[in-house]
Amino acid sequence: MDSQRVLDVRQMRKTYGDIEILKGISLSLDRGQTKVLIGPSGSGKSTLLNCINYLVPPDDGEVKLNGVIVGDRNLNAMRAKMGFVFQGFNLFAHLTVLDNIRICPMKVKKVSKDEATERAYLELDRVGLKDKAAAYPAQLSGGQQQRVSIARALAMDPTVILFDEPTSALDPELTGEVIRVMKNLADDGMTMLVVSHEMGFARSAADEIIFMEHGVIVEQGPPAMLFSSPQQRRTADFLRVIAEHA
Amino acid sequence: MVDILVSNFPYLLEGLGVALVLLAALLAVGVALGAAIALLQVYGPRVWWVRWPIFVFERVFRGVPIIILLFLFYYGLSGVYDISSFAAAILGLGFRSAAYQSQIFRSALQSVDVGQMVAARAMGMSKLQAIAFVAVPQGVRYALGPWTNEFSAELKDTSLAYVIGVVELTRQAKYIISSNHGHILVVFAVAAAMYFVVNKIGNSFFYRLEAKYAVPGSERRLFSR
Repeated sequence: MDSQRVLDVRQMRKTYGDIEILKGISLSLDRGQTKVLIGPSGSGKSTLLNCINYLVPPDDGEVKLNGVIVGDRNLNAMRAKMGFVFQGFNLFAHLTVLDNIRICPMKVKKVSKDEATERAYLELDRVGLKDKAAAYPAQLSGGQQQRVSIARALAMDPTVILFDEPTSALDPELTGEVIRVMKNLADDGMTMLVVSHEMGFARSAADEIIFMEHGVIVEQGPPAMLFSSPQQRRTADFLRVIAEHA
Repeated sequence: MVDILVSNFPYLLEGLGVALVLLAALLAVGVALGAAIALLQVYGPRVWWVRWPIFVFERVFRGVPIIILLFLFYYGLSGVYDISSFAAAILGLGFRSAAYQSQIFRSALQSVDVGQMVAARAMGMSKLQAIAFVAVPQGVRYALGPWTNEFSAELKDTSLAYVIGVVELTRQAKYIISSNHGHILVVFAVAAAMYFVVNKIGNSFFYRLEAKYAVPGSERRLFSR
C-alpha cells in the first residue's frame, strides 16, 4: 500500500504576517487518485498547492513525493515531477505552443529536441490542439491556452499534477473543454490534486473531496458521501452557497 | 562653395566614421554594463553591497552633465593614466549610456509577466534558466523601442566628444570652416544632414527589428499605424 503512496503532505503550516493561512494540513494521494480541494476564498487552498511544490516555502511541515522529502537541495528535480496548472495559464508569451510544451523537457530534463517534439505532439493531441502547435498563446482562447498549459505539464511526465483553480479565469462556455480534458486525465489514471469549484468535475472525477476552511481541513470523503450527507454544518453551508451560484 | 564641399567631403566622411566607431563602442559599453546592472537590480541578491554601488553608479551617471563627465574622464584621468581623448569619450559617454540603458532594461524585465517566471520555476527550471529562457527574450522585445531612442540620443551626443578634442564629425566640420574662412551654414548643414541620415537609417532598422520579433497576437506597433 505504501508503494502506491505518491504524495504525502504532513502538518503544513504557513503564516503571512499575523495571519495563519495553513494550520497544519495533512493529506496524501495514492497513485491514480484525484482529490478535489474546495473551500471559501481565503481558506488556504491555493497557498497549500503553492507550498506543496515550494513555490511558497512552508514555515513548517513536510512534503514527500514518492517517498522522497522535498527540500531546498532537490527542489528543481522535485518540481519537474510535479505538474502545475495555474488559474492564469502562465504560458510563455514569446514561444509557440510547441515550444511552450517542449522547452521544459529540453532544458530541465535534457530530453533531445526530437524526443521532446514527439512528446509535445502526443500531449497536444491528448488535449485536442494538435493543429495549434505553431500558434502563439495570444492567438488562442482562454480555454485553448489552459489546455496547452495542461499539455505543457503532461510533457514533463509528472508523478502528480496540481491544478490551481484551472477554470476560474474562463468564461462558462470555455470551462467545459478544460474540464473534459481533466476528466479524461483522471480516467486515464493521472494522479491529480485539484483546487476547483466545478462540482460536476468533483462529483464525477474525484476519489475524495477535501473541504478546507480557515487553514484547516474541516471534512473529507468520497464525493457521494460528502455531497449528499456532509457531517459538518460548515460543509453543508458551503455546499449550499456553491449550489446556488452554479 | 561647391568645390569647398567637394574637396572637404572626405574629411566629413572621416569624421562621421570616427563618430560611428565612437557610437558603436559607447553603446557596447552601455549594453554590457546596462544589462548587467538591470539583471542585478531585478534578480540580484538584495544585499547592500550589491544594491549600493549600483544605485550610486546609476544616479551619478544620470545626474551629472555629460560635458563634465567628459572633462573628468579626460583631464581628470590623464593625471594618473595617459588616456586618449577617444578612450575618454567612450568611457564618459559609455558609462552614462549604461546608466540610462540599465533603466530601460530594468523596466523591460519588470514588464515580463511574473506568472510566467513562476511557471518556469514550477516546471523545475532554475532561476538562471527562467531568466535566460523566459525573462530575457521577452525583456529584449520590450526594451527595443526605448532602446532605439537611446541609440538616437547617443548618436547625436557623440558630437559632444568635440569638447575634449576627439576629431569626429562636428570637429571636422569646424576645421573645414576655420581653414576656409566661413561657409559656416553650409558646412554645418551638411554635417547635420549626415547625422540625420544615419539616425533615420538606424531608426528604420530598429523599427523593422521590433516588428519582426514582435510576438504574434500581441503586436503593438501595428495597431498604431
